[in-house]
Amino acid sequence: MADRGGVAVSWSRHGGADCIRLAGLAGLAGLAGLAGPAVQVRIHPATAVALGTAPPTAGRLLRDGPDTCFLPRFPFLDGTAYVVTVDGAVVAELTRAGADDAATTEVLAIHPSAATVPRNLLRGYLWFSAPMSEGQAAGHVRLVDDDGDVLAGALLATEQELWDAGRRRLTVLLDPARIKRGLAPHREAGYPLRSGAPFRLVVDDGFRDARGRRLRAGAERRYQVGDDERRHVDPHAWTLRVPPIGTTAPLQVGFGRSLDHGLVARCLRVVGPEGRPVDGVADVGAEERSWRLAPRHGWAPGPHRLVVDPVLEDLAGNSVGRVFDRDLARRTDDPRGARPVAVTFHPA
Amino acid sequence: MTEYGLRVGRAELGSAGPITFGPAGILFLADNAAATVYAVDVADPGGRTAGSGPFDLTDVDARVGSLLGGDAADISIRDLAVHPDSGNIYLSVQRGHGEQAQAVLVRIDRADASISDVPLTDVPVASVTIADAPAPDDERVDVILPLGDEGEQITVGSRTIRILRRPIRTATVTDIAYVDGALLVAGLSNEEFSSKLRRIPFPFTDGADAAGNNLEIFHVSHGKWETAAPIRTFVPFDGGRAILASYTCTPVVHFPLAELAPGTKVVGRTVAELGAMNQPLDMVSFVQGGEEYLLVANTSHGLIKIARRDIDAQAPLTEPTEPVGVPRETADLQGITRLANLDGEHVLALQTDPDGRRHLRSLKSASL
Repeated sequence: MADRGGVAVSWSRHGGADCIRLAGLAGLAGLAGLAGPAVQVRIHPATAVALGTAPPTAGRLLRDGPDTCFLPRFPFLDGTAYVVTVDGAVVAELTRAGADDAATTEVLAIHPSAATVPRNLLRGYLWFSAPMSEGQAAGHVRLVDDDGDVLAGALLATEQELWDAGRRRLTVLLDPARIKRGLAPHREAGYPLRSGAPFRLVVDDGFRDARGRRLRAGAERRYQVGDDERRHVDPHAWTLRVPPIGTTAPLQVGFGRSLDHGLVARCLRVVGPEGRPVDGVADVGAEERSWRLAPRHGWAPGPHRLVVDPVLEDLAGNSVGRVFDRDLARRTDDPRGARPVAVTFHPA
Repeated sequence: MTEYGLRVGRAELGSAGPITFGPAGILFLADNAAATVYAVDVADPGGRTAGSGPFDLTDVDARVGSLLGGDAADISIRDLAVHPDSGNIYLSVQRGHGEQAQAVLVRIDRADASISDVPLTDVPVASVTIADAPAPDDERVDVILPLGDEGEQITVGSRTIRILRRPIRTATVTDIAYVDGALLVAGLSNEEFSSKLRRIPFPFTDGADAAGNNLEIFHVSHGKWETAAPIRTFVPFDGGRAILASYTCTPVVHFPLAELAPGTKVVGRTVAELGAMNQPLDMVSFVQGGEEYLLVANTSHGLIKIARRDIDAQAPLTEPTEPVGVPRETADLQGITRLANLDGEHVLALQTDPDGRRHLRSLKSASL
């Protein structure tokens, strides 16, 4: 065996990519795949070395002057230690620097924004100021009671978390099996929430952002718990404040209860007398209990329609088209179809 | 272009999702970042001596991690599939977290347990988008500053910056299966709570976003409450004539595939419930003593085994009874998160041990 004491190993760059550079190998022999007798260079994550038979990390060995560079097929991971062996003998262990930047990401909003939620609350949303890492929610988002005790099993654990494409909005579901009547989990464990018992939705600062950094601070929102909500969302029962013709005053719509933050932002639109959408700026009101549309141009005379997508849900998952769990003995629970519902109004 | 409409190109996976084999060794891969399913010819090197007998591999996460340059903790094995001819094992792997996360398809050779990553560039590929057709008025996008050269360049005052607009509404594929010329896709929306099963004809046709094939399957609990919920996992059985599905709210529901006509309301028959604080993870059908059985992996109990004849005989659950539903056997096999048919005699399981290490393990069908 050649003496490997003279081999120097370091993090480096080659051709614009990160690599592990080995200097002093040339004195030993040629490299595998290159001219001369083969010297075998292998890289493994340090944690895999103990297995003995783990495959080496995939990559290429390239000559760079007198040095040899290992370029991994998949980029090195921050904070990971790599062991370098030459002909089976360990010559170095190198650790990639971890993300040590200061924390800058924070929780921007927690929905529902209502102070009181129904006992059969189904869903919440968390907005972050920057893209986040996946696989963190189960460990860093929870419901707790006023004593700080975790409401065990209240949130649904999904193998894949429900993010928007930018990974800034996370959807969390309460366990529907405990909310739906008649199911074994509901009978055995009951509702995740109790009427009259406040709780908090908590995000702790250990939730990692996409760069692996902690949050600047944790965040939470406290809720009172009311009774169950099991009615359809009924656009015909909404209150409309109808604007005057020719003005750009907003149409104001009151829902009578809080609706789902995610859906309310996409399920409402206004169509004018010509059948064309009314262009303007839409806002969701406090606690997601109202919505308004300020038109870009003055309101035209004639019939307008507020068109509601039937998938629009309230906080308990009841939609325009169906209730969350339908009592087959109650006619009022019957499904109301999958077509958009229109409420007609005339600017005055 | 191949017989199945695949063209040489790239399956650019953003996030590793469920995988399953279709005809002629074509692998379907769901990309949950892009709400897309790819069909890829994986050029399986089989054809030589196909592996046979049981296959076991300890510390599969650490071994895959070693190849991909990460620790076991950096490896998330999202699904597994077995090549129907060679018996080689394919893993859908998410490697790393956050910005460093990468979706990788990994192959484990049945004969010698060697591990390699499967190229997804310059391979025969076809794809289909499974997201619901965006509502015409859903212009909501999240605008972020990308790190690379993605997105578009805009000028604000004297500054030029690059921004990336990405949709807020997304669909996550929870499970996929191929039956008789169609890909069945179950998913979970990050907004509405619905039970959609999409049936997408394969070969994919232009514009086949399966919009006309969205099927909502309801189930009834105890004859009193009818409800819909997202499907977590499902398995075709009875020669592809029936589906057994398990929901986020844990009932195990049976429905015949023939009834799944677009636009019709399908009500499945609840045949079992998994119990409180328990989530279904994966299901597989296998044959034992000439009879078909289904295995259900779940978060709280060992594997649950259900005989097809009991499903056929099971009246819809109408009364709360314990144990709930069809007769089941709960094998002493804890920590199993994924299942696949290895061959006629073995079911392959991905098992997490009490120390959090993950292993591939063969279960002998005759002993289950």
